[in-house]
Amino acid sequence: MPLPKPQKTLSFAESSYLVEVIKGMVLTMGHLVKNIIDQDRFRTVEYPDVRKPMTARYRGAHRLTVRPDGHVKCVACMCCPTVCPAKCITIIAGEDPSDPAEKFPVEFDIDMLRCIYCGFCVEACPKDAIRMDTKIYEINAYTRQDMVHNKSYMINLMDGLKPEAEDVYRHDPAAAPAGYTSDEEPVA
Amino acid sequence: MAKVKINDVEIEVAPGTNMIDAAQQAGVEIPHYCYHPHLSIAGNCRMCTVETETPRGPVLEIACNMQARDGLAIRTDGDRVKQVRKSVMEFLLVNHPLDCPICDQSGECRLQDYYMDHARHDSRGVEAKVSKHKRQDIGEQILLDAERCVQCSRCVRFGDEVTHTGELRLMNRGDHTEIGMFPGERLNHDYQGNLADICPVGALTAKDFRFERRVWYLKETDGVCTGCSTGCNISVCHQEGEVFRYLPRRNDEVNKSWMCDPGRLRHHEVGGLERLLKARVNGQPGDGVAAAAASIKAVGAPKVALVLGTRASNEANWALAQLGKALGARLYWVAGNDAGAIEKSDGFLMDADKNPNTLGCRLLAEQSGAGDAEALKAALPELAVVLALEDDLVTRLGQAIPGLVALAAKESPTTKAAAVVIPVAHPVEMDCTYTNKQGRVQRNRRATNPLGDAAPAYAVVDRLAAALGKSLGTQMPVVTFLALSRAVPRMNGLDYKSLGPGGKLLAPAPAAALGGEAK
Ligand code: SF4
Ligand code: SF4
Ligand code: SF4
Ligand code: SF4
Repeated sequence: MPLPKPQKTLSFAESSYLVEVIKGMVLTMGHLVKNIIDQDRFRTVEYPDVRKPMTARYRGAHRLTVRPDGHVKCVACMCCPTVCPAKCITIIAGEDPSDPAEKFPVEFDIDMLRCIYCGFCVEACPKDAIRMDTKIYEINAYTRQDMVHNKSYMINLMDGLKPEAEDVYRHDPAAAPAGYTSDEEPVA
Repeated sequence: MAKVKINDVEIEVAPGTNMIDAAQQAGVEIPHYCYHPHLSIAGNCRMCTVETETPRGPVLEIACNMQARDGLAIRTDGDRVKQVRKSVMEFLLVNHPLDCPICDQSGECRLQDYYMDHARHDSRGVEAKVSKHKRQDIGEQILLDAERCVQCSRCVRFGDEVTHTGELRLMNRGDHTEIGMFPGERLNHDYQGNLADICPVGALTAKDFRFERRVWYLKETDGVCTGCSTGCNISVCHQEGEVFRYLPRRNDEVNKSWMCDPGRLRHHEVGGLERLLKARVNGQPGDGVAAAAASIKAVGAPKVALVLGTRASNEANWALAQLGKALGARLYWVAGNDAGAIEKSDGFLMDADKNPNTLGCRLLAEQSGAGDAEALKAALPELAVVLALEDDLVTRLGQAIPGLVALAAKESPTTKAAAVVIPVAHPVEMDCTYTNKQGRVQRNRRATNPLGDAAPAYAVVDRLAAALGKSLGTQMPVVTFLALSRAVPRMNGLDYKSLGPGGKLLAPAPAAALGGEAK
């Protein structure tokens, strides 16, 4: 068993903390002066007039992806509700009316009040049917019920939003940088 | 006994034991698709290949076709065996559609389990997979997806050997071999659900369970089917208080590995529309136990008849018999079937007597001197209160009954006619025992909590006794069963522990009592 380290005895100068306080103030004042001279250095974002660009891996509100024909990609395999640590995904599965051999979600609800935005559901999905790449972080509502995002809400979530890089390339594959691959079919 | 050696474990098994079963007894799992303990040996999947020690050195043989004999030694962990398993898996998966995400078998599929345990190969296939017929509606209970089939022929043998209907056949050759039926034919028997159970993959799946729930969410609790006096052993599959399916549980003495479809579908009644959840007094919501106690007190014990139930557990019948004794009320029991029962008997599992506990009820009735249906009919004019324990007395007697108090789990003509209705727990909601037609006392375990205001019948009777100023002490099933087994000579020595998973037969009847019970 390791012996406890003997406590270092502080000298008088150290135990008064005066030197450290002054060091800290010098740093703060330095930044203040620099920021006054060069105002672009400000870290504070004036939300909501200004919005921070979210990084590509930011986990925002969930969306359900669709096939080129508009059919939801999810096959109600129940991998995401199984892996979800917050138990906030509720899926009712049924036979797909367009092909009864296939399974699809009749209802697909995520309770955003319980979601912890871990992204496990996205990792677990074998169909790339659920994504958190919307970069939407303003997830709010007036009632608890409205905080439960349902299937049609999550399918249509990206409508009317500025297409993100991936969607731009999907619409215009020629514009994509060399080596860029997308697993979504290009849109004609 | 034969001494066999499996890997390095030496065990003694009955001579002739199948080596897959013998290995299981030694704690070694031999993977297999086509072998089934209650079907003939086909030996076509080759997954159970093991190495046998011979004078020529170790040779590869299939374990399912090997019977235990003295000195037999097999190895299941050699490199050659591992290679065989891997190759078998690779062949089986060459044309498999891999639609686990939409397959109901997923989670209890042998292809998944054995791939993870024995194969873990990457696909080397370059040709397109052979496609076959998907989602074929082949019977009232079953859907067939021929692409998922591994051609084990279990379903074919089930049709040939168990139901003797022989509908399913393997057709064509090579990788075009396809499981199917003759055109225009459909499954036409009462044991279709078993096909979904024995199919080791997702080729045959149950319509009733289709897309209902992923199997890995379900918990299984040992139960007994209460659909008829056969008392098939079942596993009740439930999640968070909801019951999703019944599966047959192996009991070689009762139902082997099978159960009938009407029995299997009975899980719908647990939370069904017919279920009784609230007490009723004269058609209005009220305190059923207090009302029943008040009416019994008002008329006095001699005008009260307590009718034991053939649908009720041994514990509940015992509790009611004790109450009758304590009060000095008359006891009766009435054989017969409830309204809506389909009295089908097929000489295999289904029995025309649709009550799970006729024999247990009869035993207790005889023990406590209860009268039968004729005696009850004759006594009706003198009676002011008749308490029915779970049975549909109105249908069984075929006449109106005065002052009816019904303890019931679901609606019936009796509950509709009753002055007082008290809800009791469904069998899946309580611990209890039933005695089947062989005289086998079998344990049924609680899977879910009682819905609504329901409580197990023995606890309701206990409450009723308390309201009448008597103490029965029957709210605990373990204790109640002990008291019961001490008092009933043919049950002496039984307790919940000694019943075990498969149940125990009653001691033989003393001469001239209970004549034609076991057929
Ligand atoms: S992000 Fe995590 S908590 Fe939220 S729904 Fe997905 S798995 Fe559940
Ligand atoms: S994991 Fe994907 S395909 Fe499966 S249920 Fe969730 S969203 Fe649907
Ligand atoms: S359908 Fe199932 S049980 Fe029948 S042969 Fe195919 S895999 Fe075996
Ligand atoms: S034969 Fe009787 S006990 Fe067996 S499953 Fe059918 S109804 Fe239940």
